[in-house]
Amino acid sequence: MSEEYNIVIVGAGPAGLAAATTASKYTNKILIVDENIKPGGQLSKQTHKFFGSKNHYASVRGVNICNILLDGLSKEKVCFRPETSAIGFYKPDTLIIQDKEGLHKIKGNKFIFATGAIENMVSFENNDLPGVYGAGAMQTLMNLYGVKPAEKVLMLGAGNIGLIVSYQLMQAGVEIMGVVEASPFIGGYHVHAAKLRRMGVPILTSHTVKGVYGDGKVEKAIIHKLGGGFEPLHGTEKTIEIDTLCLAVGLTPSVELLHQAGCNIKFIKELSGYVSVHDDMMETNIPGVFVAGDASGVEEASAAMLEGNMAGLKAAYDIEGFNRSVFLNEKEIVEFELKSLRTGPFCERAQAGKKRLMVEER
Amino acid sequence: MNKKASVVIIGGGINGCALAYELAKKGVKDVMVIEKNFLASGSTGRCGGGFRQQWSTPMNIKFAMESVDIFSRLDEELQYKTEYYQGGYLILAYTPEEIRQFEKNVRLQREMGLDVRLIEPKECLKIVPDLNIDGVLGATYCKSDGHANPFYVTQAYAKKAKEMGVQFLLDTEVIAIDSHNDRITAVQTDKGKIMTDTVVNAAGGHAHLVSSMLGLDIPVKPYRHEILVTEPVNRIFDPMIISFHYHIYMRQELNGGILMGQGDPNEPSSFNVEGSFDFINQVCKKGMKIMPVLENISVVRQWAGLYAVTPDAQPILGPVPPFDNFIHIVGFSGHGFMLAPRVAQHITDYIVDNKLSDEIKNCSIDRFKNMDLDVDVNVV
Repeated sequence: MSEEYNIVIVGAGPAGLAAATTASKYTNKILIVDENIKPGGQLSKQTHKFFGSKNHYASVRGVNICNILLDGLSKEKVCFRPETSAIGFYKPDTLIIQDKEGLHKIKGNKFIFATGAIENMVSFENNDLPGVYGAGAMQTLMNLYGVKPAEKVLMLGAGNIGLIVSYQLMQAGVEIMGVVEASPFIGGYHVHAAKLRRMGVPILTSHTVKGVYGDGKVEKAIIHKLGGGFEPLHGTEKTIEIDTLCLAVGLTPSVELLHQAGCNIKFIKELSGYVSVHDDMMETNIPGVFVAGDASGVEEASAAMLEGNMAGLKAAYDIEGFNRSVFLNEKEIVEFELKSLRTGPFCERAQAGKKRLMVEER
Repeated sequence: MNKKASVVIIGGGINGCALAYELAKKGVKDVMVIEKNFLASGSTGRCGGGFRQQWSTPMNIKFAMESVDIFSRLDEELQYKTEYYQGGYLILAYTPEEIRQFEKNVRLQREMGLDVRLIEPKECLKIVPDLNIDGVLGATYCKSDGHANPFYVTQAYAKKAKEMGVQFLLDTEVIAIDSHNDRITAVQTDKGKIMTDTVVNAAGGHAHLVSSMLGLDIPVKPYRHEILVTEPVNRIFDPMIISFHYHIYMRQELNGGILMGQGDPNEPSSFNVEGSFDFINQVCKKGMKIMPVLENISVVRQWAGLYAVTPDAQPILGPVPPFDNFIHIVGFSGHGFMLAPRVAQHITDYIVDNKLSDEIKNCSIDRFKNMDLDVDVNVV
């Protein structure tokens, strides 16, 4: 037997929770599934304060944003199933989920895939040696489970994740031996980079990791300088003693379920990989199937939440057909917020990507 | 594009490619194969890859025995490794009716010279030690049945055919067939027109569509059959295992992955080739009942393909009136892969020497005028 819901949301991260928040204002029978023990996705690991305006939860720590969103959800309208993986989508309207009891068939009127992204890997010598971690794993260990994950860390990647996780590791008492970045520029916000530099952490641009070495676990890394064509420059090798190499080398959108649902998938470099084509209200080419958050192109949690709001609004409107002016008014507010968020100087790339996506859709 | 061809074959599956090769081997020049996707992209590439000789009608048995004989020499003839493997077929009986039918089949098959036996459940365990024999009343076993990789067999034929001058137009779709006074004159594709005086319909699940371009209504309907493959594991069993009772077949590929397939006998005809959850759910439960050891093996992929089914589950071969130059190799009802090597030779004899073999005559479309059909009951 299959269970039926008005809206099925996959992923209880910022986009999924925001979608449920907006949708539950107008409709009920909403299901959120998430493979983790607790809801919140990346938010629950984010101990840093957010930027932007008040409407973007500025000055609120990610973990607290998560709690605000959760507290706002009505238990009568929204059913949350943790430790539940969405393992397959069968056209036109069936999601298969797996929990401790086994497999279940879920039917939905609308689907919102807020499946996020997965961390990238890079190739270097011995990259499978124990002691090579993704930044997300480090954050989970220290911020969710309260475990000090390492003693001496080298960070690869100077985007926002690399910078913020380095700082959080220092707060947890971990020594950061440096941050290396292959491109000639620091990708993340300068305010984060400045914080690290004030603490004496070197950020080496045009550098990368040649390999990690050790007896059964990481004991040292060798880094080297890169030339203008990203070619290694011989004679610039430096050895750094570490026990952990942390990778913060970008994310790839998780679009597998969208692909199974028949959504049009396009490679858009600015959005970090293959993403699902969607319209201005986050609906894909398959009517009733929505995407929100990193799965629609890697951006930040603030954008993910607004995209979730938008998807939740349209899905609920299509089900309930409530007052059109209420709908248009709320749509306009979310559009305005998204626009103001994306006009920031660091959002040019994402904005260009979203533009390309919309154009290619036509 | 070459605007003329002596023979245009519609469909780049196993039947189309095998025929192209046999024609070229007999010296026919200017053969052209038209395929709307890529080679083996239809039913061939989606099939279980088995070849068996254990059928219930004399024609199918003879056909299959002759095909196996070709299969066994194919790697050498085509200079290609097709993963040909004679691991046998073990067909399980769960009811007294099945046993009675199997006794009849085996008698007929043995009369025709096939080395096949009806065996006790205990003997099944010698062949497949992990088999669950609860409820099994017996089984038929033929050691010379087996399987090959359908992609490789298709490529093997196509590669040799290409070397011998056959042209393959991939990603090309037939949109119309021109005729004049009951003779076909040309095939129109989305990439242009090809003048020809012989057209072969080898379009598998889409055969009816192709024939209907000339206003023909051949009794071939597409039915979805689903299949899955597991992660590769150590060798568990050699033969293809079939149960008509459970509507299931399974075999282990040379790389260790286990294929399991079934068709839903109650599903209506359609062109649907989406995988379904109900299939995965049912076939895994059945599979684990027959082979409990499969319990902890992960499924990595599922897909579906079309059986092109005729009223008597036997193919339609040869010309279809009123066109004597519109030749059909269609309606194999789920066993086109295993019969293709021999069928290609019969059809070649007809095209080249105008020789109508007994097999083609038996499979003529005319048989459907007569109500008393010899239905093969050994279909899964």
